Amino acid sequence: MAKILCSVATRGRYFTTLPLVLNAIINQTRLPDKLIIFDDNDAPFDMRKEMIYQYFFQMLDIKGVKWEWLFAEKKGQNYIHQSANTMGYDFVWRVDDDAIPEPNVLETLFSHINKFVGAVGGAILTPPLKFEQFAPTGKIENIDTEPNIQWSPITFVKEVEHLHCSFLYRAGVHDYNLGLSRVAHREETLFTYGLFLKGYKLLAVPNAAIWHLRNFEGGIRSENKEEMYHHDEQIFRNMVNFKDKTVVVLNSGLGDHLVFSKILPEIKNPAIFTCYPEVVPGKSIAEAESLFGNLDQWNIYKKMDEWKWKDSLEKAYRKLYL
Amino acid sequence: MERLARKSLSEVIPMIIISPYSKKLERENPKSPSASYWRELISRIDEPIIQIGIDGEEQLVSDFRKNLPILELKALLKECRTWIGCDSFFQHLAWLEGKPGIVLWSVSDPLIFGHSENINLLKNRDVLVDNQFLWWCFVEHKDERFVTPDVVLENIK
Repeated sequence: MAKILCSVATRGRYFTTLPLVLNAIINQTRLPDKLIIFDDNDAPFDMRKEMIYQYFFQMLDIKGVKWEWLFAEKKGQNYIHQSANTMGYDFVWRVDDDAIPEPNVLETLFSHINKFVGAVGGAILTPPLKFEQFAPTGKIENIDTEPNIQWSPITFVKEVEHLHCSFLYRAGVHDYNLGLSRVAHREETLFTYGLFLKGYKLLAVPNAAIWHLRNFEGGIRSENKEEMYHHDEQIFRNMVNFKDKTVVVLNSGLGDHLVFSKILPEIKNPAIFTCYPEVVPGKSIAEAESLFGNLDQWNIYKKMDEWKWKDSLEKAYRKLYL
Repeated sequence: MERLARKSLSEVIPMIIISPYSKKLERENPKSPSASYWRELISRIDEPIIQIGIDGEEQLVSDFRKNLPILELKALLKECRTWIGCDSFFQHLAWLEGKPGIVLWSVSDPLIFGHSENINLLKNRDVLVDNQFLWWCFVEHKDERFVTPDVVLENIK
């Protein structure tokens, strides 16, 4: 039986929409195995002292859902999601702290999961609805010219190239970009598009509506610095520009480069960033950092650690790049 | 570089390459993760030996070739009868060149970082560090983690 973690990242919404979100999660027809609330507040409270939260925690206990309240690092929600992504669960259902799922959402999303599917999302409806007259394609190339497919009711299952806000995803197969700023603009687009590029299907599905009670107070993105958005947008554009390439980043030792060189002929259309261009030709690591922000998703040692790797370094490179 | 390669190819005496040290570790641990008995080992080998390495490493034999480019190392590998090294880039280069040799292992796992084509001398798996993917400079160097020189000599034959 697949294990599902539900993660909620919250900031500034203890007493507005967060209780509604938690109540909706507790009342799902298919419960997650665990709920983690990542508290990103600048001055976090001990919510065990709040009556309504005491009831929530008791209801979770009674229903057999493990729960945890974690204080986040205040680095941005990409860090929070990456933490959930690597906690060892099969799937993660990420829910925003102002997005209230209808009771059947998790059950519906999970019913669409099979080995080919990387993520499933339903409609994220913000009253009043504005985008019902559109027929979005969900393709990354149209991201500037069409509304997100999840912003209006979804009437049939559609394969897309990116998802938004809240969705159920296959954990541990693609990393969130930790190079984004604290606002983590485009983080979910980058993440889900990364799953798509790895060959997984992304589905927008009907009958799984989440009501987005937009609240301009609080929120995990409650920074308002233009340069942060610009920085993140540039990383997003760079990643999309490399969509037809296999980005290879060899930020490691000479021996690692030599082992990697064995599999290089099998990599399709590689774009290589290297420390030892005389062994594996390519551009500099500094350029990779400038283009993509954080390079952890290509760190072979970090990956082997995450995978609890026991096989050869060559096979680890195969898993990462082929 | 071509001249050097030609010169060494003309020297058809088979020899053993030793690559005793890995890259100098950064941070606070000054010791490379290699056995300290190289001098004893060398004294018991009755064959020409060429040491390869970089500036700053201890010279153990008269023929110490430092800072060779990859192409020259490949040329040397073609000439040698075999080689002895530690867990460093050299074992990977030799693997790519199809020249098996002997690797002295201690805390790193040859099943992950080694190649089955080589003779991987690991004392036992109890000496391996638990997390193979942390910085090696945080791992304490201990000589008793290596096999003895006798074991190495037995495998050179």
